Amino acid sequence: MSAPSFAGSRIPVRSDLAEAHERAWAAIAAPGTWLTGERRIAVAAEIRHAPACAHCARIKAALSPNAVTGAHEDLGTLGAAEVELIHRVVSDPGRLSEKWSQSILARGLSEGEYVEVVGLVATVMMLDTCLRALGLPERALPAPTAGEPTRYRPAGARKKAAWLPLVEPEDALEADGPLYPNPKAGYIYRGLSLVPQSLRDYWALANCHYMPGEYVYQFDKSIRAIRRPQVEIVAARVSAMHQCAY
Amino acid sequence: MLRESMQSEGKQVDVRGVTQGFDEDVGIPHADALIEFAEAVVLRDAARTQSARETLRSALGDAALVDAAAVVAAFHGFVRIADAIGIPYTTAARGNDAPELRQQAGINDFYRVRGER
Repeated sequence: MSAPSFAGSRIPVRSDLAEAHERAWAAIAAPGTWLTGERRIAVAAEIRHAPACAHCARIKAALSPNAVTGAHEDLGTLGAAEVELIHRVVSDPGRLSEKWSQSILARGLSEGEYVEVVGLVATVMMLDTCLRALGLPERALPAPTAGEPTRYRPAGARKKAAWLPLVEPEDALEADGPLYPNPKAGYIYRGLSLVPQSLRDYWALANCHYMPGEYVYQFDKSIRAIRRPQVEIVAARVSAMHQCAY
Repeated sequence: MLRESMQSEGKQVDVRGVTQGFDEDVGIPHADALIEFAEAVVLRDAARTQSARETLRSALGDAALVDAAAVVAAFHGFVRIADAIGIPYTTAARGNDAPELRQQAGINDFYRVRGER
């Protein structure tokens, strides 16, 4: 395993956050639901490579993102559909469309692979952004863990509200493992539910960065060292800069 | 979330600030420093981030800096899940999406909302 994320930080970092980073990297390196550990680490490497892609820069600058022709500058370890998914979600997430997501699937990526890759993008970007924000060096990628993906698809997953299938709380089965903190969990919580392990890995980390679900609607309370409106003004500005309407 | 957290403190916020910039007196302590930090990180501007980090640390301390960084990072993840999975934005805030708030904040001008109108 590579050196801990906050090793060498002169700023004290709360232990739950540091521990969540360690668990997240271990999960990234392990076999997933549809991807081996080796492929998951290759995805992580491509996520880090994407911001340097000139094709992504041209798409980002274009008024119409889908009108730009050309090829991504990638590391050469993943397929074209996976590279397109990773690069666009990293570089221009606010200008994706259902038609675009369907084009990724039509190029051979399964729905489960798509969702698992998106979970990895969201996770690695959260991990790396936190360190970059604190002025800490990027952590070396861990070595992949051997083993086979579980290939588990929840029987209750349906395509209805979103572009990809979700497991609505009422359709969750015991075999899926723990999915939601409560039956009213918001749609952002359900986003990765087609791949339950990705959902659990992601939220174990996200809860330590933002706040656990039980505090989200307690607006008069902050469990962090900044007040709740301070948390939310940061959140709102970051979301707006990404053109996220959610 | 911003509006409701302000209301919990008995204050109002002009949500246009989310996309157009906030007034000097937004009613949130050190809002300028927090926003500058968030913007610098999103833009991957290392020099600006370092400066903003030092300002924020001086103003609010180590623990607050760590938590601000953690929140900035968290929303680099949330937005990507929402936008890559195509979660309906009308389900935000537990389904209490307010169209007039979206209009006021300038969110209706975002690519995805324009594309679905």
